[in-house]
Amino acid sequence: MLPNRSRTSVLVFLLPPLLLYSAAVLFPILQSLFLSFFSWNGISDMEFVGLDNYIRMFATDDIFWRAFLNALVYLAICLVLQLGGALAVASLLTSLRRGRELVKTLYLLPAVISTVAIAFLFVRIYSLEPVGLLNQLFHWVGLDSLERPWLSDVNTVLAAVSAPEGWRFTGLYMLIIYAALLAVPKELEEAAVLDGASRWTLFTKIRFPYIRPVWITTTIMATTYGLRGFDIPYLMTNGGPGQSSELLTTYMYKTAFTSTDFGYASTISVFIVVECLVAVGLILFLLKRKADS
Amino acid sequence: MKNLFRAAACAAVTALALTACGGASSTDPSNVSPTGEIKPREISWLLSRPADGAVINIMKKLADDYAKDHPGFELNLITTPDRPSYIQKLETLAAANKLPELFDTDATPFAQELAKQGKMVDAEKLLKSLNVYDDYRPGALDYQRFDDGSLYMIPFQFELEFIWYNKALLQKAGVAVPTSLDDIPAMCTALRSAGVTPIAIDGQDQWPLERYVAYQPFREAGPDFVQKLKKGEAKFSDPVGQKTVNWMAELGKAKCFQDGFSAQGYSDAQNQFTSGQAAMYNIGTWELPSLATEKLDPAVRNDIDFFTLPTTANSVTAANEFVSPSGIGMAVNAKTYDPLVSDFLKFALEKYPAEYAATGALSPTTDVETVVPANATPLYRKALDQADSLGSKQAMPWDTQLDPTTNGRLQQELVLLVQGNITPEQFTETMDKTIAQNAPKFFK
Repeated sequence: MLPNRSRTSVLVFLLPPLLLYSAAVLFPILQSLFLSFFSWNGISDMEFVGLDNYIRMFATDDIFWRAFLNALVYLAICLVLQLGGALAVASLLTSLRRGRELVKTLYLLPAVISTVAIAFLFVRIYSLEPVGLLNQLFHWVGLDSLERPWLSDVNTVLAAVSAPEGWRFTGLYMLIIYAALLAVPKELEEAAVLDGASRWTLFTKIRFPYIRPVWITTTIMATTYGLRGFDIPYLMTNGGPGQSSELLTTYMYKTAFTSTDFGYASTISVFIVVECLVAVGLILFLLKRKADS
Repeated sequence: MKNLFRAAACAAVTALALTACGGASSTDPSNVSPTGEIKPREISWLLSRPADGAVINIMKKLADDYAKDHPGFELNLITTPDRPSYIQKLETLAAANKLPELFDTDATPFAQELAKQGKMVDAEKLLKSLNVYDDYRPGALDYQRFDDGSLYMIPFQFELEFIWYNKALLQKAGVAVPTSLDDIPAMCTALRSAGVTPIAIDGQDQWPLERYVAYQPFREAGPDFVQKLKKGEAKFSDPVGQKTVNWMAELGKAKCFQDGFSAQGYSDAQNQFTSGQAAMYNIGTWELPSLATEKLDPAVRNDIDFFTLPTTANSVTAANEFVSPSGIGMAVNAKTYDPLVSDFLKFALEKYPAEYAATGALSPTTDVETVVPANATPLYRKALDQADSLGSKQAMPWDTQLDPTTNGRLQQELVLLVQGNITPEQFTETMDKTIAQNAPKFFK
């Protein structure tokens, strides 16, 4: 328990970041909530429309639902690549005796490259005409039937725009998980090995339960980042072809800044905030229930 | 906590109310000759033009010349060449009522709303007051006009759009220059059979594909069709609309555009054509330096030619009528229009045409002669000469005509139609529904 004077100091020092957070996060959210009840193109008078924007979003807007489903698929691909990839690489790293730093650096490298560069890089990689790296690789190994314009094919574009995002942050989550794995007590692992535990048992019964709190944090981070995914899909395909790679975020952005329908765009942004909160709640609930069981 | 929440909500409401209320300007947009002292200061031009392009270079030079006699004057050029990003910037500034003295815009429904609110100076009156109005090509001014004929933007360019083609590749496929728009799908099939990509197109920017949807209606029903379509008075399900929808689907079936075109950019398309990989390329005279000078690869230089938009059997528009835009226009902010802005515009607009024509480009005015560059091929002059025999009607690009939501959906659905992902019926139904939902809000 802190003495009274220290508690006051803590509160005083907490106030500026709290104010900053309120101004940068809470205020825009409230502003969006307010705007979502209006029809407004930015230059004419605002017109109060009540729940019309919400009714339109849930009942009549086919692009909204398409973007929502796309966002879930995008999220799933990103999570598999980011968390699955990070866990696999981090586990392998703990077994590596030499060159760990080099491997870590190489995996982390994409996280520091600018988004625009990554988007352009992958546009080139996926290109069919002129032939890009991916199609060239298929050609070299004799899988010509797999060659295609990955970003123009409505069946492949969503996975194609998700992969760079997953690739980009695998290294970051790998570092976090790797640090957690290093903290697993060696005595526990050695005792389990002496008892005849296999590598899989060692991982599922000792290592993973030990790093579960870190895993929850990284899952929440990756999920919220995934739900907010915007820049790479926007730069690579602008949501197309058609609405094949449209996400809620790209749709919200275009609704606001291309269609100048700021009221309806705010409605979509309110949905994104709620969606993120629900996702985080769901993750905490599911992981807690599993831990309890 | 409750109190804190209430306070934040009130602050949000107040801020928004203030933003919304700060819209109207008290200035008279028709007062083009403000009186008073010229007080030099920095003025800004928010523009969407290439940073090293002729327009910007010339205006910089003219601003420097003006500043010599008016110390303290400076023209701050804020450029965002990427059009979608520019439009977002413009709309955000307009919403915040922070538009600079000069800003670029097409004659879009959004710009018309700004004009209606008195935020733009009447360009027709302004040009007339400067005694330069009659120098402008009627086509250059018409391109900038709103539906009601009013003029609020000043053109700085004049361009002609052609279909450039590679004679050797057409010969290889055994096809001739199309005499009708309806010949193009069969021509594409023949070119594909000969192993040639028929048309190189920049699919990423979406407007190049949207040009094609405008062609059949322009020939079948004239420039009025899009005026009616955008207001919901005509539909894609009408015979004229169906003709263009089916034609676009046929272009797709004949694989007219390069594989994966929707993810290919401007330079990709240009490279494909100029390297002899694609037989045709639909682009304007702004690319003359790349297509009709010695910069062009010698291997294809003598094979390049162009044809203008083909007509159709029942065409109501003539062969010399096609897309001839005068580029994005420049609007003058009525709120900040004062003796200085007026005087600078008078100085700049009088000198601009000669400077612009000297760069080898077509001036929006007729009082100057374009200087053909020394390294130009004969095609350069041939292209420029088309400007002298233009008809009175011009095909308007649809992206400047439709409301933004309809335009965005059209661009998306067109790709799907041409790629064969949706049928002409699905396309028609989606687009007619989209127009019915969105047009009334914009064209009340």
